[in-house]
Amino acid sequence: MTATPGPFITGVGVITALGRGLAATREALAAGRSAIAPVTEPGPRKHASPAARIGPFTTEPEMARSKARRLDLGSQYAIVAAHQCLLDAGYPLAGREERTGILLGTGSAGAGPLTEFERQMAAESPESASPFLFPNTVANAPASQTALELKLKGPNVTVIQKDPAALNAMLYARMMLADGRADALLVGAADEWNLLYHEGYERILATRSAGRCGHALGEGAGLVLVESAASVAARGARPYARLAGVGYRGSPVSPHRRRGKPEEFVEAMRGALGAEAPRVGLVHLSANGTTWMDDAEQAALRALFGDSPPRQVNVKEQIGENPFAGGVQLALAAVALREEPSLGAVLVNGFGAGGNFASVLLTAAAPA
Amino acid sequence: MGYDPNVEGGARVNVVVTGLGAVTSLGNDLAGTWAGLVEGRCGIRPITLFDASKFRTQLAAEVRELPDGLPPRLRRRLSRSDVMGLAAAREALADSGLDLAREDPRRIGVVLGGGVSGLLDSENYLEACLKNGPRFVKPSMVLNHPPDQTTDRIAEMWGFLGPRSTITTACSSSATSLGYAADLIRHGLCDIVVTGGADSFARLTHGGFNALRSVDPEPCRPFDRRRKGLTIGEAAGILVFEEEGRARRRGAPIRARFLGYGVTSDAHHMTQPEPSGEACARTMRACLADARLDPADVDYVNAHGTATPQNDAAETASIKRALGARATEIPISSIKSMLGHCLCSAGAIEAVATVRTVETGIVPPTIHWEERDPDCDLDVTPNEAREVRVDAALSNSFAFGGNSTVVAFGRFV
Repeated sequence: MTATPGPFITGVGVITALGRGLAATREALAAGRSAIAPVTEPGPRKHASPAARIGPFTTEPEMARSKARRLDLGSQYAIVAAHQCLLDAGYPLAGREERTGILLGTGSAGAGPLTEFERQMAAESPESASPFLFPNTVANAPASQTALELKLKGPNVTVIQKDPAALNAMLYARMMLADGRADALLVGAADEWNLLYHEGYERILATRSAGRCGHALGEGAGLVLVESAASVAARGARPYARLAGVGYRGSPVSPHRRRGKPEEFVEAMRGALGAEAPRVGLVHLSANGTTWMDDAEQAALRALFGDSPPRQVNVKEQIGENPFAGGVQLALAAVALREEPSLGAVLVNGFGAGGNFASVLLTAAAPA
Repeated sequence: MGYDPNVEGGARVNVVVTGLGAVTSLGNDLAGTWAGLVEGRCGIRPITLFDASKFRTQLAAEVRELPDGLPPRLRRRLSRSDVMGLAAAREALADSGLDLAREDPRRIGVVLGGGVSGLLDSENYLEACLKNGPRFVKPSMVLNHPPDQTTDRIAEMWGFLGPRSTITTACSSSATSLGYAADLIRHGLCDIVVTGGADSFARLTHGGFNALRSVDPEPCRPFDRRRKGLTIGEAAGILVFEEEGRARRRGAPIRARFLGYGVTSDAHHMTQPEPSGEACARTMRACLADARLDPADVDYVNAHGTATPQNDAAETASIKRALGARATEIPISSIKSMLGHCLCSAGAIEAVATVRTVETGIVPPTIHWEERDPDCDLDVTPNEAREVRVDAALSNSFAFGGNSTVVAFGRFV
């Protein structure tokens, strides 16, 4: 057993309903602004719930608008966030395309083209359905369109796992980098908001509505560049943080059920903390407004940290829930560790539906 | 479970296949499916799941009768993909001889590929909405759409508490899932992983390839000069992966070794393969390196072989580029000629078949093959199965988005 200094996060890219980019998003977060607003589209909205939507979006200057026209929104968000991320990392992609890959989570990518294609087939005829829509109905569109746009030729994988999909992508990325399948991977998640999906969530009472708890859907992209220690050293990059551990605990509940016990969440967090178990200065909460899950997370934090729990932050009340939020949290956690190395370590929790509980531990890149 | 990067390295962990399960258009179990493949039977028939009269082809490889054996209350809530996936998982777990009561559920993971999943139910919902308005339609019909449903259902049914994931990389989804599953074992996060995939038929995929003009009105003819495109299929293929040492200690029936995998992005085009074949050759080389194989070690390639004019020519070029002279000495075949293109479960069901080939030395044929195409001039095992000694085999999976995955299996001796 040899000790290896884990991979590092060297760049971040963020698109949220609060802002196009990390700076704008952080400014709005710090000001306490929330993008969650009522959804006003007409419809039979018996349990009308709000959402954090981006609204008009341009891919320029990162990508020409003419190129973006045929892309689903999730792909547009992912491509812009990926450009930001590589620029932020100062990562010289030229000549490293085969050693650079992408690993994204998603919960809703492809929803727009998918519902439109289905509508055209059902309302018109199969022959009139647009062939340009179909390729973007696949949930791997954001990762694959980003790979196409940036010419990434390393591993290209999309994972689906309810809310913690971005954290799950981090688990796979860690193994891929350790095995030398790539030198650097863009990791995170991208999602688009879609009315039909929104109504589906409303009708199963998963989202909040008058007198009922639940989450508010959001959209956007959150990506980080995870780079092997060797690559960081070779190019003298200055990392934000180190990816120190990923913990996972499953629970055997049906796929849409949001149920979890504090001891299960503790196990996921302990898994992330590992043998190293550093002092944790900040926790990015999984909490999304589903009260019993949020309460169980608080109970888990008390069980793990006792009477002096770390500082906690809940951005989902400002940017909405969906796997992309996990990507944004990873980016924010990494940046916080560079700015405030005395935090020591940051936990990012994602305790989602279907008994999928994940936690990621980032530590300061250099000993604080 | 936790992943601590400080404890890694040391001797490499070997992954073996101890259980297989299958539900396909040729049969609702492994034995029926494999017998059909060896006999060269075709599972492609007229579509029954929806009115296909307005599509370019009315053919698909549907699973004829869904397997039963599930409690009715649960069954009502499941999609076709879930039912097929659970049946194949049950068969694979039984095949592995695992006594689950003696295993630590925290060390058992589930990693599947998926994509279409319960979309057919959502389509029925949409159709009913368009016809009658949403007020009169059960919203539970859309619940089965997320591709991770089947993964969660398997974990729920057998109480597995280890890492779970669902890979969606279109037609290579379930091949990639095998790689993730093996990595969980190699990195010490799991002892056992239930992996593979289940994906069922839907209007979207049938209509999508229809819109792209890449379906054949007749049953598909991979590698044949007159091939016009693919035929969609549906299937579940489940494999039980286990760390070799513990599998040996418990006297498990080891069917084959999982030797390794390669996963790359060709960054060429969203739907077209890179025509020179170099992109997918790179994936094959990555797989060979991970599996520690030389081209000369490869005895068989279970081809992606979709029967689109572009894929089969580009794939032939890829195999030649990656394997060199060896490419012309060995058989390849496309079982999509019998099972159709099972999309997100294609990689899994083809992996199941590849494991059987490695075990038995029987190469299933490429049926409907009549005319040689100079661009597809490898030995495609036309129309009749063949016996060959197979020590190592590759299975290719290429997908929309340039997501390519190649997996390698080896004979267990």
